[in-house]
Amino acid sequence: MEQPVQTETWKARSLEELIRILHRIFAEDKVSVEEVQALMESYTRNLVDNGNGKFNLMILCWGEGHGSSIHDHTDSHCFMKILQGNLKETLFEWPEKKGNGEMIKKSERVLRENHCAYINDSIGLHRVENISHTESAVSLHLYSPPFDSCNTFDQRTGHKHKVKMTFYSQFGERTLC
Amino acid sequence: TLLAKNNRLGGPGSLPKGLGQAPLGRSLRVLNLSGNRFAEVPPALLGLRGLQSLSLGGNRLHSIPPDIQELRSLEFLYLGGNFITSIPPELANLPSLSYLVLCDNKIQSIPPQLAQLHSLRSLSLHNNLLTYLPREILNLVHLEELSLRGNPLVVRFVRDLTYNPPSLQELAGRTIKARSVPYAPSDLPENLVRYLSLASNCPNPKCGGVYFDSCVRQIKFVDFCGKYRLPLMHYLCSPECSSPCSSASQSSTSQSESDSEDEASVAARRMQKVLLG
Repeated sequence: MEQPVQTETWKARSLEELIRILHRIFAEDKVSVEEVQALMESYTRNLVDNGNGKFNLMILCWGEGHGSSIHDHTDSHCFMKILQGNLKETLFEWPEKKGNGEMIKKSERVLRENHCAYINDSIGLHRVENISHTESAVSLHLYSPPFDSCNTFDQRTGHKHKVKMTFYSQFGERTLC
Repeated sequence: TLLAKNNRLGGPGSLPKGLGQAPLGRSLRVLNLSGNRFAEVPPALLGLRGLQSLSLGGNRLHSIPPDIQELRSLEFLYLGGNFITSIPPELANLPSLSYLVLCDNKIQSIPPQLAQLHSLRSLSLHNNLLTYLPREILNLVHLEELSLRGNPLVVRFVRDLTYNPPSLQELAGRTIKARSVPYAPSDLPENLVRYLSLASNCPNPKCGGVYFDSCVRQIKFVDFCGKYRLPLMHYLCSPECSSPCSSASQSSTSQSESDSEDEASVAARRMQKVLLG
C-alpha cells in the first residue's frame, strides 16, 4: 500500500456499511493507511468478513491479564481498533540476525476505547496486552493481505518461532494481533 | 453471583460476617471483588463452600491465607495485580482448581506442592520474580497453558561450589529409608518419627534414595517443543546424582541420560502453551 493522491473521510454507521466501504477501498491497488484507520475509528462492533481474499477482519477478546506474545505481521498491514476496554501496546526493535540478548523495547502506549492503531513489519514488532485486572477488552483487527502464520519472539533472547494462527477466542496468550 | 468490582471495599467490616453462613454460604458460586482495596483476603468469604469462581485481582493483597483451602468448590481463582510474595502450599489442597491466575505480583518461588493440583489447566505466572520453577511442575498432567514472561528466569545456573555433607542424623535417616528398616512410633522419640516422615525421594532413577535437609540444588533447562528453555530446580541427594530431565549444555553432569525416560519431552508435548516470549 502506498499513499494515494486523495483520501476520503469515511463514516460507517453499520457493520454492512463498514464492510462495503472496506471492499471499495481495497478494490483499488493503492490504499491509504490513514483512510482505513479513520474508517475503523468511526465504527463500533462485531463480526468477521474475509474481504474476498484482500483482507481479513476479526474480533479478539482479551480476558483480564491476557497478553499476546511478541510477534511480527508477515509483511502485511495490521489495523487494530479497540472496541471495549484498553490494550497496552509495547513496540520492540527487530532483533539482530544472530540475536542472543534481551529484545529492545522501543516504546509503549495504552490504546483507549475506540482508538485504532496501525502496524507493519517496517515499523517493528509488538506485544499487545490487556493489563487490567478488572475489565476485559475487545478489539477489531484488519489484516491486509490476510495471513495465517507469523513469528513469535522470545523477549529474553530474540529467538523467533513460526506459528500458525487460530481464529477462535482462547484463554491465555494469543499469537495473532 | 455477586459482582462488586471497582469499589472501595477493604476496611474492616467490608464484607458481612455472616457471608459464609446459610443460605449464601452454600449457594454463592461467583464472587468478583477485583479493583478494590483489600489488604488481605477477607476471612468472611472463606466459609463460601459452594464458591466456584473468586476474583480478587487488582487489590492490595500481600499474601494468600492457608485457609484458602476451605473453598472446596473453587475452580477459578484470580489473584493477579496484587503484592503477593509467596504461595502457601495449602493452595494445592483445592481439589477442583482449574484456572489459577497469579500474574503481576511479587512471587519469588513456587512451592513444589502445587504439582498436586491435578485439575489445573491454566497457570498464569507472568510478571513476577521467579528465577526458576520446581521440577514437579512437569507432573501437572492437565496443564495446557503456562505464562511466564516478565520473570527473571535464570538462563545459566552456577552449581553450588560448596556442598555441605549430610549430618549423621541425615545419614542414619537415609539408611533407614533406603533399606526399609522397620520402626514403630514407640521405637523412636516423636521428633525423629516426624523427621523420618519428611524424607524426599531423589529423582535420580539410578539412586532411588532419599534426602532430608542436605541436598544438591541443580537447575536443568527443559526444552519445550524446541521453543523455550525453562529452568527447573531439582533437589538431588548427592553431587553424583542426576535427574532424568533432558539437559542443556550448561548443566555440568557427566552421566548420560539417554537410558532414562525423557519425562521432559513428554511434558513438553502435553503443555502446548508454555508462554515465555
